[in-house]
Amino acid sequence: MIEESISDLAIRGEVEEEFGSSSTSRTWYHYVLLGACVLFAAASVGFVGSILQKSLYTWEHHAGTIITGSGWQSPTGPFGGLSMIVGTLETSLIALIIAVVIGLGTSIAIVFFLPRRLRNIVATLVELLAAVPSIVYGLWGYLVLAPWFLTTLDPWLNSWPGHNFLFGDPGQQAGPSLLLAAIVLGVMILPTFVAISREVISVVPQDLFEASLSLGATKWQVIRKVVLPTSRIGLFGATFLALARATGETVAVALIAGGVAKVQFHLLDPGTSIASWIATEFGEAQGNEVSALMALGVLLMLLSFALSLVSRWLVSRQRKVLARV
Amino acid sequence: MNDLTTMDEPVGVNQTMRDEIRRVSNATRARRILISRSMTILCGLALAIAAVPLFLLIYQLIRRGAPELTGTFFTQVPQTPTLIAPNATGGLSNAIIGSIALNIYASILAIPVGVLVGIYLAESASKFASALRIIAQTMAGAPSILMGLFAFSFLLQDLKVGFSAIAGSFALAILMLPVIVISTEIAVLNVPNTLREAGLALGAKPHKVSMRIVLPSALTGIVTGCILAISRAIGETAPVLLVIGGGYLNTWQPLNPVSALPLSIYENAKSEWPSQRAQVWGAALVLVGFVFILSLTARIWASRKQKVSN
Repeated sequence: MIEESISDLAIRGEVEEEFGSSSTSRTWYHYVLLGACVLFAAASVGFVGSILQKSLYTWEHHAGTIITGSGWQSPTGPFGGLSMIVGTLETSLIALIIAVVIGLGTSIAIVFFLPRRLRNIVATLVELLAAVPSIVYGLWGYLVLAPWFLTTLDPWLNSWPGHNFLFGDPGQQAGPSLLLAAIVLGVMILPTFVAISREVISVVPQDLFEASLSLGATKWQVIRKVVLPTSRIGLFGATFLALARATGETVAVALIAGGVAKVQFHLLDPGTSIASWIATEFGEAQGNEVSALMALGVLLMLLSFALSLVSRWLVSRQRKVLARV
Repeated sequence: MNDLTTMDEPVGVNQTMRDEIRRVSNATRARRILISRSMTILCGLALAIAAVPLFLLIYQLIRRGAPELTGTFFTQVPQTPTLIAPNATGGLSNAIIGSIALNIYASILAIPVGVLVGIYLAESASKFASALRIIAQTMAGAPSILMGLFAFSFLLQDLKVGFSAIAGSFALAILMLPVIVISTEIAVLNVPNTLREAGLALGAKPHKVSMRIVLPSALTGIVTGCILAISRAIGETAPVLLVIGGGYLNTWQPLNPVSALPLSIYENAKSEWPSQRAQVWGAALVLVGFVFILSLTARIWASRKQKVSN
């Protein structure tokens, strides 16, 4: 498509030269488009630059603390970001594991095991669920799931041997916790993941599927050896999109993670994440704390850009591998 | 069949070996079928596990939200309950109006720029265009709280705008821009080149071809993209949280502080009054209603386009 439009432009240029069409008519249209592009580029540069500039104070004076410090003493400091970074990684990785494991099975079940009529209905439902605002998932987690965690799930998890190591001390739970945040995030990104991976899986050519069935492979063997490898680019894309949604999620986590600035390895203890910490602390922040929160924003931005870069790299590498085959 | 196998078999393959081969192949076949069956069951289980929380979410949303949707809910501004009147929560008309206003202003800011940039990306092959494409893709994945930080630092700190609807709209516009750019580019690229060439061959000037032929053909795709961008923006809390100020009045003024549905949900969910916590479900139901109507409109629009082009 792109190559075609290149040649298209070239043709246009020639046509114009030959027929001597007035250059003014072309230029105003061109300049309007270009003006919009400059505006867009300026907004993007401003987006990065503005947040970076507001956080400069923190990077100049407390660069070490914001990355490795673990306490957050409002309003004077020190402002340590380690607990938020760890919290973000813990919640989003657990959520991703939940979403990918359950989501991949769900997509396969929707595409290969559901009757055709039901399949379309379920696919539409999944896409609508993916559009449900995250605050609604947060609300559900906060008002429905948190009380249930408190009365049912937490005591049950704490009856396990070795619960101290993973889930924490039974004495101090209060509904909101990192585990609750991770589970709600997992439920939230599940429709996003399923919506994309279902589409990716369902566009695998039917003849590939039938060819391997006719060679005597069982349905599962076809799915494992043919369908999943052919659609892995799209599956990578879906995974990274889901991960990006989980790491950047703000208000849902702000409601259900507990909002405690402490590096937590016990999943039933309250914690926080970068985005939700910015949201909860920004209202009362003054002076250096604003700068520190902006610095957290820069960290979040770096994380998101890195994810986007890695996914772009993986996809292009996979394209090359597939092209070679 | 039997003759064929005996013919093809190498000399020295006796009956016992043949039985052994058959036994092994039958065993692996049984194993393969067993694995296939159990994976089928596992996938079905995954579907069931995925369905339970999502079904519960929608069920509770409707069951708890529907009773809250009274006339008061849509027409009155919020009140703080008191000990004497613990159920006097008022309505959330300020949040509904605020959400609509925020998204109208954000659309006015984002749609013209986004559509023009998308057209440029589709019709140009310059380095600038590919740089913009990468920027748009990266921005589309950026966490929405960053848009709020940007609006705060640029509008509130640098330009001294103050907590206002326009600051929230600015943040939402930044959020919508990349979505509109990407979907417009795809819509324009999907217009068949033969149409362009036909226009050029008739002697139309390039900008005429672009405006009179390419844009109308791509219009459904562009509109679909814009509706989807709005449906994403209307549910976002984080960008508006820091900058709109949470006003309690019904106002369409861009420079006044306003509230928004997601913001009221976030604030009131933490309320100590059970009546306010209950009312939040109504707000969530209205919000989800908005989003579903927008996505279904986009979906119907897109399918209409397919019918037309077929």
